[in-house]
Amino acid sequence: MPDVPKNVAASASTVAIPLSRRSKGEEERDLVRLAQNGTEAAFEELIRRHQQRVFALVGSILRRREDVEDVAQQVFLKVFISIKRFDLRSAFSTWLYKITVNECWDYLRKKKVRPLVYEADLSEEQVSRLDGIVSADRPVRGASEQAEVKETLDWMLAKLPEQDQQLLILKEMEGFSVQELAEVLGLNVNTVKVRLFRARSRLMDVYRRRTGPGTKPGAHSASAERKR
Amino acid sequence: MLKGKGKTMDRKYESPACKGYEALLEDSISGEIGGSDAVRLSEHLKSCPGCREAREHVAPSSRLLRLAEASADPGPGFARDVMARIRTDKDVRVERGFWQPLVSMGWRFAATATVALALLVAYDTTSHVQQPAQETATLDAVRIPDIFSPDPARVPSSRDEVLMMVAENEHGKH
Repeated sequence: MPDVPKNVAASASTVAIPLSRRSKGEEERDLVRLAQNGTEAAFEELIRRHQQRVFALVGSILRRREDVEDVAQQVFLKVFISIKRFDLRSAFSTWLYKITVNECWDYLRKKKVRPLVYEADLSEEQVSRLDGIVSADRPVRGASEQAEVKETLDWMLAKLPEQDQQLLILKEMEGFSVQELAEVLGLNVNTVKVRLFRARSRLMDVYRRRTGPGTKPGAHSASAERKR
Repeated sequence: MLKGKGKTMDRKYESPACKGYEALLEDSISGEIGGSDAVRLSEHLKSCPGCREAREHVAPSSRLLRLAEASADPGPGFARDVMARIRTDKDVRVERGFWQPLVSMGWRFAATATVALALLVAYDTTSHVQQPAQETATLDAVRIPDIFSPDPARVPSSRDEVLMMVAENEHGKH
């Protein structure tokens, strides 16, 4: 059993106090050790620290909000069951994200979910509004504009291969570093950079094709249809 | 699409950028380039229209993608829900763990009893099939002459003859 410092091997209320003076990595290791020894509060703290990233990762793969919470819960349940086997040789986050990715693929395989398909085209209004925001470099205003921008971006991302979508979402929307992406996807850092660059290029192809002079006037409804 | 000199093209995806500079171009787009890499890329861009075009093409992608908000934090309720689910699961496992030895012993006993019963039935069936032949053999070995069945050729006519026949049979036994 790993050594747990006496000042941290305590109950829930004492977890945060001694840990605050340590570096983030050390803190996390201590939390993991405590969780391995059965301290539930330490595990709860680990969930709090990583839940947003796990949600982002699951969301980038599943793209269906209704499934994200279920899968994220299942991920943490699996982590809890197998945390004693985690040997602390890698970062806890790396291990957690790998479990997350595997759980997502298992889920997709079991449910036989097909990727999100957008059958309808974007409206001219939506396209020109997005182009206006990008070219004027102005922020998105209000919830309705935010929702519209999101829908437009989802439409464009759905035109890309799944791995491109995942890379772009995690890097640009969710703030994963290239190093983290490499660990999550089991790729070399350089390979991730090259793939990201190509994914960006493909996204801009879709964007330019839609906003460029070749755009058909009077495009149809923008409602996205999810097909299972 | 531009095809400058020295371009190595990806078979699936053809980018106008030089293959050896794509990673540096990505660093440059993400604003994560510095030092000697930055100098190297800037020198290269001066002489490579393909890479310049590729860089210009992808430059707005970060801005475009960041227009969408990151996924919302699920909040503290999520951690509580997970912990509640873990506790329930643990209770189930603990309960299962308490009864598990008894349950498995019961199953083992049931399995042994079934095997024993099957063996008994099999033994009983085979012994029933073999029994008539054995019985015949046994009966043949201890066949007793029937002295009372009427044999018209040897029906005693007097009391003496009866006594003689009995005496003969008694003598035959010893």
